[in-house]
Amino acid sequence: MGDVAVSMSGSTHPPLRPFGLVLLLGVPALLAGLVNLSMQLPPGQWWHALIQPDATDIAELLVLYSFAPRLVVSLLAGAALGLAGALLQQVLRNPIASPTTLGIEAGANLALGATLVFAPVLIGFGREWVALGGGLLTVTLVLLLSRRSGLAPLVVILAGMVTGLVCAALAALLTLFNSHYLAGLFLWGAGSLSQQDWAVPRELAPRLALMGAAALLLLRPLALLGLEDGAARSLGLSLKVSRFTALAVAVALTGSVVASVGSFGFVGLAAPMLARLGGARRLGTRLLVATLLGAALLCLTDQMVILLSSSSGMLLPTGAVTAMLGGPLLLWMLPRLNLPPHTASGLIAPTAGTGRPFMCLGVLAVVLVIAAVLSASLGPGLEGWSIAAPGDPVWSLRLPRILAAIAGGTLLAVAGGILQRVTGNPLASPEVLGVSAGAAGGLVVALFVFDTIDRSGQTLAAMAGASLALVVILALARASKGSPERVILAGIAIGALLDSLVSILMASGDPRAMRLFNWMTGSTYGIDAASAASSLAAAGLVLAALPLVARWLEILPLGDASARALGISSLRSRSLLLALAAITTALATLLVGPLSFVGLIAPPLARLVGLRRPLPELFGAALLGSVIMAVADFIGRSIAFPWQLPAGLVASAIGAPVFLWLLTRKKT
Amino acid sequence: MALDFGLAETLIEMGLPPIAVPDPQTWADWVVEPPLPADIVNLGTDREPNLELLAALRPDLIVTTPFLGDITPVLERLAPTRTFSVYAPPPGHLFDRSVTATRELAALVDRESAGEALITRAHMLMEEIRAHIAAVDLTGHSLLIVQFLDARHVRVFGRGSLFGDVLDRCGLRNGWTRPSNYWGFSTVGIEELSQSPTSSLVYLEPIAPDTLATLAASPLWNSLPFVKTGRIYRLPPALMFGMVPSAMRFARQLSRVLGGGPSHG
Repeated sequence: MGDVAVSMSGSTHPPLRPFGLVLLLGVPALLAGLVNLSMQLPPGQWWHALIQPDATDIAELLVLYSFAPRLVVSLLAGAALGLAGALLQQVLRNPIASPTTLGIEAGANLALGATLVFAPVLIGFGREWVALGGGLLTVTLVLLLSRRSGLAPLVVILAGMVTGLVCAALAALLTLFNSHYLAGLFLWGAGSLSQQDWAVPRELAPRLALMGAAALLLLRPLALLGLEDGAARSLGLSLKVSRFTALAVAVALTGSVVASVGSFGFVGLAAPMLARLGGARRLGTRLLVATLLGAALLCLTDQMVILLSSSSGMLLPTGAVTAMLGGPLLLWMLPRLNLPPHTASGLIAPTAGTGRPFMCLGVLAVVLVIAAVLSASLGPGLEGWSIAAPGDPVWSLRLPRILAAIAGGTLLAVAGGILQRVTGNPLASPEVLGVSAGAAGGLVVALFVFDTIDRSGQTLAAMAGASLALVVILALARASKGSPERVILAGIAIGALLDSLVSILMASGDPRAMRLFNWMTGSTYGIDAASAASSLAAAGLVLAALPLVARWLEILPLGDASARALGISSLRSRSLLLALAAITTALATLLVGPLSFVGLIAPPLARLVGLRRPLPELFGAALLGSVIMAVADFIGRSIAFPWQLPAGLVASAIGAPVFLWLLTRKKT
Repeated sequence: MALDFGLAETLIEMGLPPIAVPDPQTWADWVVEPPLPADIVNLGTDREPNLELLAALRPDLIVTTPFLGDITPVLERLAPTRTFSVYAPPPGHLFDRSVTATRELAALVDRESAGEALITRAHMLMEEIRAHIAAVDLTGHSLLIVQFLDARHVRVFGRGSLFGDVLDRCGLRNGWTRPSNYWGFSTVGIEELSQSPTSSLVYLEPIAPDTLATLAASPLWNSLPFVKTGRIYRLPPALMFGMVPSAMRFARQLSRVLGGGPSHG
């Protein structure tokens, strides 16, 4: 693996340039802060408020105990995350590593949520220890999972993202059943910086200082880590110890921020990234600049949030807003990143399949039918489990959701299969590429802009969102000459944008947000027979269209030259296929939510059972996806009766481990 | 069968308790009175009531809210279904809407007289409390009605919220004047509460166990005008998204704590 370098269009930079970048962000942050402050208190009283506050003047007390600590916390938390991100990027030699992309924040958050619900006593020992434990567990898992690939950046980030998503899904489950006690967790998970005293800064400052000192001590060994493994080893360096120490420092920094104020997605990614782009080449400079930039970035965002909140009266969680700003930032940077070539995860082999595809598909179809019939006839009720014969009234309630789950599974699996073929990347899928997130985003916007919106309106909104996401991704893919890493990163960025949008809505406390949340977790609940039937028909149509595009799917992975030689316009066929994938994803997202991993795992599973040519693979994936969703729906419906778990969430609980297992296999 | 606590409490008060509600275990945390029938069936979550169970119970009537608008077509196939839009856009006066909804509900279940009696009881109660408030010389007194989300954030109930309407009727004043959402509340940081310096604070249970201790250690909290002068009242739960019975319960509790003098914690 080569050294990871990030360059900005070639030119060399004077050494002061990175600090200029700090000023560029820091000065507006300062100005915004001054504007906010002067709105709260006339400038003449500022000094007085900080030194000798008048205990009867609420404005002075607000400045002393709310505004000032909030400003300090935003600086400290931003600095901590910036430093953590820079350390992680250096240790893993991965320019897109960060507390967010490695799942550390999500892991710490889940640990806190779970402790709050199951063992509140432990919280007494200190929230930061719980968060630290959660973060360490997550990062260990991520590294173990990606160990086989030699910690290739893309594989690490994918493992991190997926682990992060699983943690978020589990935290979502906690929330579904404990919404009252976790109401505060929503706010805090979304990163609210509001303060009432100096306790948090008093907590954070010494920790940051301690970790900063540790980073300083690690500077030399870390700088050597930037060299080739071989070179570093020949210098007699214990790679493992310094790597682990630096990793622990980064996790501790993240953990203390998450424990005291919550998650601030992307600050830890953006700050070190900006530092590199600004030309901070030496490690020491980079760590310092990343720390400063993190502080400036979070402070600027937070001051803007204060400005906005005071004018709109809406409570905006700063963490969600950072993610909202961080997403586009990441998108903007992607074409400027210089990642090592993609090797480890392996392209889809264009070899012909062996075995008998019809047999295989037949068996899968039988399994699906059995699963569907069992699910329709079995279920718990008032007097325990019972079997219902076809025609029983409960069939009319169960069938629509089973059919919707099957349609959703089919559509996602087909979309995933197409995307994997077209991008030549076995890790592509509607979930990872942000197409699902785009569809969900379109729907979210529509739900909140229009008070009432019917199903066809929802479909249109979801399709618009999915297409928009796909267009953005394609534009990026073109700008980066189709490199799959960038495409996937663009997907992460779009997914984060959506998450932040949803967090903001959730934090507003609007009860509609809870419903949205329900849908986001992929509930097949309440689908009526007509919608289920039309979804199934749509899935059937998509399957029927597959033979028309099978040739393209076979030839495109061979490369543009081969495609041209065979008389296929790769641009046109690729665009059509991607459009098909977008429509398919939009339909599926409406049914089973944006997060199920079915699109990710069904195609590789189909290849695993020996279906290697495009058409059998896609049909096999469709069947497998259907089975997974049907089973997930059954489990969700019956495991906690009369409570119900959303099928999408159950599917992701099944799918994520499968995906991680696939990821650790050498080749699919 | 009622899919909403506000509708359920109204039905109970009219002497026609529902056979099933979603999540009855939380009734004691949020609604308390009137008590639920002991044999009430749990329908699961209020966002996704279990349809199979619902169908198996063969209800004569399902009353629901726009909150469950997505499944109304399914419900309509299972039993006669009626939707009541109290908590729906646009923001409005929620007590007035509750009264209207109570009349409609009473007509629907042939309990017009019981419905009218409930409304009259509510109006009389508010008049009584208004007189009581005047007697203890609190008329025009300004209050902030909040519910703690954690030690840093509250839901504050604004003008037109169910509780805000009760304040108006009892001769009290709502200290929170900024616009609210159609559920009648805004989510804000506690420091925002300082913008109404003359108000007393009324907070509703349930409250997380560590919140008060955290607040007691907070200098900003301690500097808020109502904290310094001890004008804080703790109120047992009353459903903030309820209907007429919740408004009555809130009014009774409020009059009890106000009349009995300020109390801490």
